[in-house]
Amino acid sequence: MSGCDFWGTNVKRHQITRACLFIGALFGATPGWSADAGELAGSICMACHGEGGNSVVPNFPKLSGQHATYLEKQLNEFLSGKRRNDVMAPILDSFSKQDVPALAAWYAAQKPTPGTVGDPGLLAAGKAIYEDGNVETGVPGCMGCHQPRAQGNARYPRLAGQHQAYTLQQMNDFKSGVRDNDKGKVMRAVAERMTEQEMQAVAEYMASLQ
Amino acid sequence: MKKHLFILSLLLAAATQTGAEENQPHAAGIESDGYVWNAMYAEKLQALSARGDALRGEIAFEICQGCHRATALGRPDGSYPRLAGQHATVLIKQMTDVRAGRRDNKKMFPFIDKHAVTPQEIADIAVYLQALPVPPDNGKGDGNNLARGEEIYARDCIVCHGNKGQGDSARFYPRVSGQHYKYLLRESILIRNGDRRNANPDMVSTIKPYDDKDLQAVADYMSRFAP
Ligand code: HEC
Ligand code: HEC
Ligand code: HEC
Ligand code: HEC
Repeated sequence: MSGCDFWGTNVKRHQITRACLFIGALFGATPGWSADAGELAGSICMACHGEGGNSVVPNFPKLSGQHATYLEKQLNEFLSGKRRNDVMAPILDSFSKQDVPALAAWYAAQKPTPGTVGDPGLLAAGKAIYEDGNVETGVPGCMGCHQPRAQGNARYPRLAGQHQAYTLQQMNDFKSGVRDNDKGKVMRAVAERMTEQEMQAVAEYMASLQ
Repeated sequence: MKKHLFILSLLLAAATQTGAEENQPHAAGIESDGYVWNAMYAEKLQALSARGDALRGEIAFEICQGCHRATALGRPDGSYPRLAGQHATVLIKQMTDVRAGRRDNKKMFPFIDKHAVTPQEIADIAVYLQALPVPPDNGKGDGNNLARGEEIYARDCIVCHGNKGQGDSARFYPRVSGQHYKYLLRESILIRNGDRRNANPDMVSTIKPYDDKDLQAVADYMSRFAP
């Protein structure tokens, strides 16, 4: 769905829609996001997710440069209750299903800042897990799905440059089943096989990738 | 002391791996009376008769790459086999047998199970893999006993696996050329011992008399067929 044809019917939005379609026709492609999404992001989401989605708080995920398909899935699943989180919960009144594609497209178009490495001593072990997994315990290499530089694709999220603390939290939530919205249940299967040390090392390595 | 603590922490970590790890189902196999090799249950038929699409298969295969690697060449240590160039029929049989619990593979099960892959995707993956190139850099044995390997292969294996290790797609006989030595050896032993439960009974009786040393020799020989 393009960013220009999902709005509701109020007059102002309707006019923007037409302007959008016009611009889209001019450039041969419709932009995936609108000024509205940028405004929403700047007024509400920025408090936690930072300017341009580059959160500076380790527990709040960076959203910049993330794939729009993944962001849409997460936002829709927060709204439907399939993914639950106490911190995000109060925010869910501030946007609706209609806003999701534009918000997702807006964040996907922002330039991610590089991550910061906390413990360089873990990078080699993290790289080994990321690329080869653990043959003994059946942890697949993360690279197989998340791509060689953790850049992700339309089907698997980008993990490069993400805060270690957030990554680690997600891994533990997958492992315990607190987060259970993963497509095909595959992340639960991956995380269940991992030790805390492995998770820490791989989180560090992914933070080092751009 | 430190070492003991470390081992203890490993044990604890293993013990706390509760979660919801899905258990592979268990279907009757070669160990049971009335076993029919390659029985055509519904899902296998569905995947075999579906028209596979290699482009879709390439995308569906992403979920497998963490173990079998991006070009499906597996790993020379035999931990994960090569799938590139294997016959689509053989691949479909193995995938559906694992899903049904007729071939045990706990590590792979969550990634091939129904919520991860559809029967159509099984067909797509199979045609994609079948056409992938197979370079000759597969893991090989030590090369010390090749004459014995050749003798065994020519006498007992060639009828099904072919004079070049090419197998037979229509009969579901796997290609063995280009496969990693350690995987070939492990499977030979599993099949001989009755532990690969979807095995072909004729192959089992053929391979029964051979000891591990013979199987090393024949696996080494097979790993050297030009792929
Ligand atoms: C009060 C802080 C806060 C605000 C404001 C906030 N978020 Fe979040 N957001 C979080 C936290 C914390 C998480 C991680 C949730 C978890 O651990 O499951 C999160 C997760 C997300 C995710 C999932 C990211 C991923 O990588 O899976 C998306 C998408 C998201 N938020 C979008 C938004 C949008 C859009 C807004 C504005 C409408 C917003 N958030 C406002 C705290 C916030
Ligand atoms: C079989 C494919 C596959 C493999 C292998 C895999 N992942 Fe994932 N991963 C996924 C999918 C799919 C998602 C998206 C979950 C969803 O649908 O919400 C995901 C999501 C994640 C997330 C959450 C991202 C976020 O922004 O909240 C993290 C963290 C993650 N994976 C880490 C890893 C690590 C570390 C490894 C290797 C040890 C790994 N993954 C291996 C498929 C995979
Ligand atoms: C967690 C690691 C892992 C993942 C992910 C995985 N596999 Fe496997 N696979 C294995 C292992 C291990 C074996 C060898 C089993 C044995 O030794 O008997 C195997 C064997 C196979 C075989 C049998 C090959 C033969 O020659 O008989 C096929 C076919 C196969 N896998 C296909 C797939 C497909 C398709 C996917 C993705 C949908 C996949 N695998 C994902 C670990 C994995
Ligand atoms: C009657 C035909 C037949 C004969 C004879 C036979 N095989 Fe097989 N072999 C099979 C079939 C069929 C399979 C696949 C098992 C299944 O159906 O899942 C197989 C599988 C294998 C595999 C595992 C391949 C893989 O990709 O997983 C190895 C290794 C193997 N055979 C070695 C041998 C050796 C060595 C001999 C001779 C001593 C031999 N076979 C004789 C039919 C045969």
